[in-house]
Amino acid sequence: MNTRFIDWIWHVRGSLALSPQMSPADAFDRLDPLFHTTGTSHERTSDRLVFRKKDPAAQDRMAVFENGVLQVEKAAGGPVLHYHLISRSLLLCFLAPLLFLGFAQLNIALAKFDKPAAAASAKPGAGKAADKQAKKADVPMNPIDKWLGAPAPEKKDADKSEDKGKKKHSPTPAYVFAGIFAALYLVGRILEDRLVKSLFRKRLMAA
Amino acid sequence: MDGVRVGNRVIGADAPVTIGWENIPQVEGGAFKRAFFTWFQPAVLLGLIAFWYYAPNSIAKASTAIGIGIGFKVLLLALEWVNPRYDSWRLTWKELATDMFYVGLGYTMVRMVSGFIGSDAMITAIQQSFHWDKLNWFVGLPLLVQAFLIAFIFDFGQYWMHRGMHNWYPLWLTHSVHHFITQLNINKGAVGNPVEIFLIGLGIGGFFDFLPRAALIAGTFGMAVSTYQHINVRFNSPRWWRYVFNTTEHHSLHHSLDYEATRSNYSGTFIFIDRMFGTCVDGEAELLGMEGGRRMSIREQMTYPFTEAWRTTRERLARQPAAIPAE
Repeated sequence: MNTRFIDWIWHVRGSLALSPQMSPADAFDRLDPLFHTTGTSHERTSDRLVFRKKDPAAQDRMAVFENGVLQVEKAAGGPVLHYHLISRSLLLCFLAPLLFLGFAQLNIALAKFDKPAAAASAKPGAGKAADKQAKKADVPMNPIDKWLGAPAPEKKDADKSEDKGKKKHSPTPAYVFAGIFAALYLVGRILEDRLVKSLFRKRLMAA
Repeated sequence: MDGVRVGNRVIGADAPVTIGWENIPQVEGGAFKRAFFTWFQPAVLLGLIAFWYYAPNSIAKASTAIGIGIGFKVLLLALEWVNPRYDSWRLTWKELATDMFYVGLGYTMVRMVSGFIGSDAMITAIQQSFHWDKLNWFVGLPLLVQAFLIAFIFDFGQYWMHRGMHNWYPLWLTHSVHHFITQLNINKGAVGNPVEIFLIGLGIGGFFDFLPRAALIAGTFGMAVSTYQHINVRFNSPRWWRYVFNTTEHHSLHHSLDYEATRSNYSGTFIFIDRMFGTCVDGEAELLGMEGGRRMSIREQMTYPFTEAWRTTRERLARQPAAIPAE
């Protein structure tokens, strides 16, 4: 399958013009410290660098990319560094909303499944429950709280237990997290692209 | 490394730690900044308690608490940005996304499972089968006493569950994943194997009847004290605060790379429980984690307790001597 049209989701590509005097070896020497971090292995040829990361440290500046290729090519205006970085983290973040939408659907299904059981269990005991509610109607309030001016507690509401049942299988949190991950993906895709470009640029321009 | 003797133990022999409040760095900067980071924690806690105590019934609801909780976490994220405890704990996009994944699991999958087999479900089943009513003598106590008891009973249970996790291998397997975190940020408390997140959420509060308002005040202790266990903010917590409550300093020591330091500060909210049982160590650590501070991927975090259990079981079975045939 040709993934070229969708792989921008987790592939970050870019290029940086190098100064005309800079050789590929010079460029890679300047970038070299980035590939000597925990869990990173790399191979260098004259104009190409391939790296791989496994469980990089949290503060690794390139932790979001599991592997990638950097290549220096000659162009009309001088040498250019092209990079192609692959991020499983971005892909998983892109897919995370689907997982949470799945949880939302599961909650909806569980709520449907629970409904007949709740209705059945509510019927025979309904009279007893009502009696109990009547008994519990007066909620005590400690004199200290009265004296300190706290609002009097509300009488217990029979409808509240029904609300509780509804909330038990609410899909809302799952929808919220699906939205959060969609937003996180957009932020990450733009931010990490910019950060890695600026990281390479700073390294290459450092004296 | 020599380490520091604390009671009968030597803390910091494996990895650097700072022991003793007098050795912990203070907030630097102008008078306002120092006052802010000294009084922020008590002011928020007391302000929230007063809010929940006096808020009209129409406002004192769980939905308000959720809104305040989200707003508070956003504020704490901003504080992490403004006044970090350590630059080596800075929040990155990948760390934030990973933490949010676990927060999301806690609000969805773990909550779903807890609805069926969590402590509240189990307690309701016990109460129904024995025809027990909730212990309603609790509800007549002063609100603040109810709130403290709810928070204390839960934290007391958490203390022993947490201590058990550090002392009994099957429980440790579930908790060990949480100890692979290498920095503290506000959502790091949610990071861990879902089995552990489920276990640490068990409590006996369901046996008691209490006013909803008391539960909201008790929740404030969780939000405005326990949240600071995992946070990258330097505070000048007042002396009385750090004597009573768990702090980032205590919890960073608990997450230290130093093995002996991890066997301290088990409570979630009230550090005086650790003081009662002799497990409190006052201090802090920057280098956190396990196995030299390697960062564990989400995939390994999900499978580690099971793969480790399988590996150790096989090793144990392999070590058993073969039966000697009778002559």
